Amino acid sequence: MTGTLHVLTEIAMRFAALSLVAIGGINAILPEIHRVVVDLEGWMTSAQFADLFALANLAPGPNAMIVALVGWKVAGVTGALVATIAACGPSSVACYIAWHFADRLRQSPWRMIVQRGLAPIAIGLILASGYTVARGADRSPGAFALTLIATAMLAWTRVNPVWVLLGAGLVGLAGFA
Amino acid sequence: MLASDSGAASELPPISRATLFASFLKMGLLGFGGVLPWARRVMVDERGWLSDRDFAELIGLCQVLPGPNVVNLSIIFGARTHGPLGAVIAITALLFMPVGLMLLIATLYASVAQDPLTRNAIAGASAAAAGLILGTALRLVLQTRPPLRGLLTGAAAFIGVGVLQWPLLWVIPVLIIVAVAAERHATPRQ
Repeated sequence: MTGTLHVLTEIAMRFAALSLVAIGGINAILPEIHRVVVDLEGWMTSAQFADLFALANLAPGPNAMIVALVGWKVAGVTGALVATIAACGPSSVACYIAWHFADRLRQSPWRMIVQRGLAPIAIGLILASGYTVARGADRSPGAFALTLIATAMLAWTRVNPVWVLLGAGLVGLAGFA
Repeated sequence: MLASDSGAASELPPISRATLFASFLKMGLLGFGGVLPWARRVMVDERGWLSDRDFAELIGLCQVLPGPNVVNLSIIFGARTHGPLGAVIAITALLFMPVGLMLLIATLYASVAQDPLTRNAIAGASAAAAGLILGTALRLVLQTRPPLRGLLTGAAAFIGVGVLQWPLLWVIPVLIIVAVAAERHATPRQ
């Protein structure tokens, strides 16, 4: 049991330390998580880590759930909870404090200026993350076509994305992706 | 930009705790391949809580703070509606419920992962999931119609981070300084 407790403490400290530098989300610290989990601690192989990454992207929910899976692999359900809270806790508290600060500046013209400046950067980063996911997913002309169709449907129609995903899954099932 | 529309972004209709929980649960559980397209759909299209511009500005703040952007979004939006409790409600619905579901999937995953039909279906859905994110970005551009300076900083963020894969920790601070300076320059002094 002391071994498990030791591992849980290790997970908590490692992930909490990374939480506050995760600018741009978990993807930004993914290489560092890989280094810690595979190279430093030897908790799993690189192939196992890649499997967990695929699973986290496949399952619904924020991509941040990769940390829950890593914790789960190392120390079961408790490990998953500890890892998630450690990786998202400090950044969430920082976010809460930052929001309070921003809210006090509601009347300041600077807040509007900063918000208007940040919005296009955010859109550019969303585009970048879509591009990164597409590069991994589009290994055939069929898959590339599915990405283009889904892009157009989201941009110009109000169709429910569930149908887009299900339709694409069926096309894939038929062997076209 | 008119001074009269300042502050309008901060007004929200009253949202019950149950609605807050249900909405973020929906984003979390349907967010296959990324929660962001669902966050925009639920908050802008379905609930009408935010305009596309409000959403883009809010997500802008969430992107530059450490932590996953949608988790930050749940913290800020939850706090805006019900204070600290609201933040806890929103993050629980968005993050912890899907984690439980995923652990269930993880235990089943090994048995279906090698099945070729399953792999084919996943390949198709993954390709579409990338499109959902790209389409959301495109829709935000079309709806918010950023001025030229915004198009330039947005394109720089995309190329720097997405195409060239430069470290975010360097690209973001530089772009923020440039974008805020350009915005300040374009805003008439009061």
